[in-house]
Amino acid sequence: MMFPLSVHFGHEAGLILGTLIGIGFGFTLERSGFGQAPILAAQFYGSDTRVLKVMFTAIITALVGMTVLSGVGLLDMSTLQIPPTFLGPQIVGGLLLGVGFIVSGYCPGTSWVSMASGNWDGLATILGVIAGSLGFGLAYPLVGDFYLSGSMGVVRLPQLLGVPQAILAAGVVAMAIGAFLFAEWVETTLARRRNEAPPAASAATRNKVFAGLGIATVLGLASMALPAVTVPEAPVKSVAAWDALALAKALVERPGAVQVVDLRAPETCAEKRIPGAMCRQAGDADAAFLSDLAATRTLVLYGDSDIKDLPAGARRFGGEIALLTGGFSAFETGILAIPALAVGATAEALADWRLRSALGAWFSGTKVQAPPPVVRPATPVPSDAPVRKGGGC
Amino acid sequence: MQEPRPFWNPYVGGVVLGLVLLGSFLIVGNGLGASGAANRLGIGAASVVAHDAVAANAYFSEYVGPGKNVLDDWLVFEVLGVVLGGAIGAYSGGRMRRGITMGKRPVSPWTRLALAFAGGLIMGVAARFGRGCTSGQALTGGSVLSLGSWVFMMCVFAGGYLVAPLVRRQWR
Repeated sequence: MMFPLSVHFGHEAGLILGTLIGIGFGFTLERSGFGQAPILAAQFYGSDTRVLKVMFTAIITALVGMTVLSGVGLLDMSTLQIPPTFLGPQIVGGLLLGVGFIVSGYCPGTSWVSMASGNWDGLATILGVIAGSLGFGLAYPLVGDFYLSGSMGVVRLPQLLGVPQAILAAGVVAMAIGAFLFAEWVETTLARRRNEAPPAASAATRNKVFAGLGIATVLGLASMALPAVTVPEAPVKSVAAWDALALAKALVERPGAVQVVDLRAPETCAEKRIPGAMCRQAGDADAAFLSDLAATRTLVLYGDSDIKDLPAGARRFGGEIALLTGGFSAFETGILAIPALAVGATAEALADWRLRSALGAWFSGTKVQAPPPVVRPATPVPSDAPVRKGGGC
Repeated sequence: MQEPRPFWNPYVGGVVLGLVLLGSFLIVGNGLGASGAANRLGIGAASVVAHDAVAANAYFSEYVGPGKNVLDDWLVFEVLGVVLGGAIGAYSGGRMRRGITMGKRPVSPWTRLALAFAGGLIMGVAARFGRGCTSGQALTGGSVLSLGSWVFMMCVFAGGYLVAPLVRRQWR
């Protein structure tokens, strides 16, 4: 697997690359006409369906590209950051976003482009989005329960429907092209009825794009015929044993280098797990999904206590494996519960306690307790001391 | 005054946008976004004004915990790029000018700005519930066939079409 390239560079390089990618994003949105509210709003009155055309063409271009690359074994889809599903909140969020879109004339992304083109209404939208986000945070005690409801984790349609991605991608491309042709029919019909000119667009260019996407889709389907890249079952791999402290430090210092999987029953895992750990699915005794995980990360497995036998999926995993000594209970008592410090502790014990309480605070989200205040002998303040006025520099 | 350059054919714009999105996935392993940066900017500004109140809030505290800088995030830099790229596009396309865009039937500038702000306000709340907006959720999640993203995207169009007749005066 060659892509994504992110395993080869650090956080700062990622930020610089992010800025460059953003420049491409902003430039493309501007050239597509998305810096001007009336063009975006026209989508909802059927006079110019650019939003639909640009957005869906972009989705199918990226989708088909990823399908071909993963089909020929160059891209590992499981390493991509995919937004998790929260069904109820996302239905409400989507409906509200649509309402805000037609009221403001922009979506959050295009408002930045509009502002960059000099439009005050773009700036007003950005300020609104910022205020709305802050309002959400302030109302969090009221809406937090709903916000967290309907959590389903990362759910991708190929896994949900049990249909290979290449076939689904072909279906989405066909659906999109159908939607484009329908949208163009709506545009011309409404324009005739309103005595307006339909949006000018070259049919030849459109047909070339459709043909290109069609060819890429067929390539994606053809890649299904390639032999699947499977990692052979290694005889016996050396499996490292990590204690809770080592795992906690790895999670804080190199979160991208480890992949933690909870092998306890799915219900137990759903209730409480090591932060960031994946749960197994019900009925998956072999934990078959483990063999599909990215071999670039160390796979850390844990159970209730020590794991004796590796599940079959883990034996087919290509990378390094570590088992958590003592299982979840060791992590819970050693890291999640901040240990008490005995009076008269040695310097070593004190350093260890500092580390553990910092880690405990990190994982449990509570603050580190401040050490008891040092009582200082009171010094009398001379009454004729000059009173400082005003601020500093 | 020179005539501004025409906009791209929407299908060509879509292919280029799709390649930017694909490039983002291939290079950094994640897609594009926008509303997350606005959220972080807001929290950053609020924590300058009222640091203790922000740190005490259950939602904001995730972003401003000890050792965390709310602006040290991929999305913030990506949106910085969006502003630069948008400015380059507008300038080179002959569309860089101060003004307010509005529909065919002009409304007063303050009405337009108030509606833009109100729409933004609704979207700010919406993007938190949806875990993203049209960029981070519909476009990015849509291209990797995420269930929640497709549901979100359909709801965006549904919400827009439902309310469009009510605000028709602003645009038509």
